[in-house]
Amino acid sequence: MTGRERGDGESPRRVKPEDLTAESPFTLPGFFAALSDGRLLGGRCDECEQAFVPPRPACYACGSREIAVEEQPREGTILTNTEVARPAPAFAADAPLTIAIVELDSGVRLTGRVAADYEEVEIGTPVELTVRELTDQEKEFALDHEEEWPLHVFEPA
Amino acid sequence: MPDPVILSVGASPVGDSELTGRDLFSVALAEAFENLPDPAGIVDALYVGNQSESYEHQIMYGTLLAEWAGLRHVPAERVEGCAAAGALALRHAVRDVRSGQCDVVLACGVEKMTAGGTAGATEALSAAFDRALEQRSGITAPSQYALLAERYCHETGATEEELARVAVKNHSNAARNPRAQYQSEIDAETVLESPYVARPLKLFDCAPVSDGAAAVVIASEEVAATLVDSEETVRASGVGAGSNNLAVAERDLTFVEGAHRAARGAYEEAGVEASEIDVAEVHDAFTVCEPLLAEAVGFAPRRAGVECALEPGERSDGWSDVELSTSGGLKARGHPIGATGLYQAIEAYEQLTGRAGDRQVEGAKRALCVNEGGVADAVTVAHVLEAT
Repeated sequence: MTGRERGDGESPRRVKPEDLTAESPFTLPGFFAALSDGRLLGGRCDECEQAFVPPRPACYACGSREIAVEEQPREGTILTNTEVARPAPAFAADAPLTIAIVELDSGVRLTGRVAADYEEVEIGTPVELTVRELTDQEKEFALDHEEEWPLHVFEPA
Repeated sequence: MPDPVILSVGASPVGDSELTGRDLFSVALAEAFENLPDPAGIVDALYVGNQSESYEHQIMYGTLLAEWAGLRHVPAERVEGCAAAGALALRHAVRDVRSGQCDVVLACGVEKMTAGGTAGATEALSAAFDRALEQRSGITAPSQYALLAERYCHETGATEEELARVAVKNHSNAARNPRAQYQSEIDAETVLESPYVARPLKLFDCAPVSDGAAAVVIASEEVAATLVDSEETVRASGVGAGSNNLAVAERDLTFVEGAHRAARGAYEEAGVEASEIDVAEVHDAFTVCEPLLAEAVGFAPRRAGVECALEPGERSDGWSDVELSTSGGLKARGHPIGATGLYQAIEAYEQLTGRAGDRQVEGAKRALCVNEGGVADAVTVAHVLEAT
């Protein structure tokens, strides 16, 4: 125990085996179910404040297992970006793809597609996170358990 | 504790081969044991670095290669860690000998990347990215490194031309390496005029798709002395390993911390400083990797890593005099993923035993090999090797 109340849904606490159902944001089915509802859920470490998506059982920065779940803001900034000339076959129809690492206003960082040409964005461009269903072609690439998982896409703000 | 040494090495040529993975291993084995007893008489364990079963639809490479070497009676296993699999296999061998559990261990690596063409390699390598957010966004290996390169150039002021010079240097080294895939020099214009694969990286910023197998025999110094002259051995005096987040977005984008931790571990175990390293094989899968690694392992001051393409005497204050990627590196020697860490150790072995021919660095006494897997430093293994 680290002095925090255990068992309170609002408080950071260690996940217990029985918590880890397909509805829990600490599992990918639960994380993507929330994303389908428009909510990007992240974890925040109660010890060192490190934030991350998706939520996971321990903080990668300090190792603490006291992790709170927080809904993430949609607004962020491009840290770096590139253009994928020849993506994997499943995405060939959309080539070239613009891809970026984005830091959300919460400090969370994630990689994703950008719905803009490479020349239209750069390091520092503000973007907003959107969520959409997979296209039929993307579903062909998806594993059975991934077919209903939505895709996050950034748009220039 | 027994001191582990490299007893012998062997490798297939690197390139687009008609041979399959097991055949390439046979080439490596034949060279490594040319002047040794049968493996069955001396080898106590076998480890195989191998990235992906998707190329040849073959797992169980530990069992297969043990059989091929006449070693069915010893424990054998495939080691997975994408492009770091080879050095992970070597690390297991070194530790088995140092612990006293084994006298002689065979570390090898094998990859038959050309089997599925460029599309097959793209697909197989993408399995090393985080499935949840990265793979599903359609990203490829070159574009992962392009994200790092774009940020590195933004923060340090490094240019595409400076990155191109890393490729020029490594091709120049490979031109003097009979094991290399590209034994020819190129100029900066060739790199700069090649098509973008993922901006700012162009075709000639990227390591090729390669077939190859390599074998490194690790033995205790005591047992090695009964088999070869001591000048033919190289001490495996330090090994370090470290991981970083699987998803690139969550890491420090301009400092490869995992590699920093791995190198520090190797230096500490060997009792050496970065400044004492004479030659180093670093994981230049893409040109930007060499500057990033030069900074992370302590050869270069922060933001000055891109001077790795210059001669030691031309670099800024704070740079060591290390010679980098004398084999030609992944860029030009070639990059058969699961075997690459062993090819690095073989270059170090040849430099430290004075067998590096036209690319010999005079007086080389200490080498560092840095082998990364996943994108950049998702996992890194570093070895310090020293002349006896």
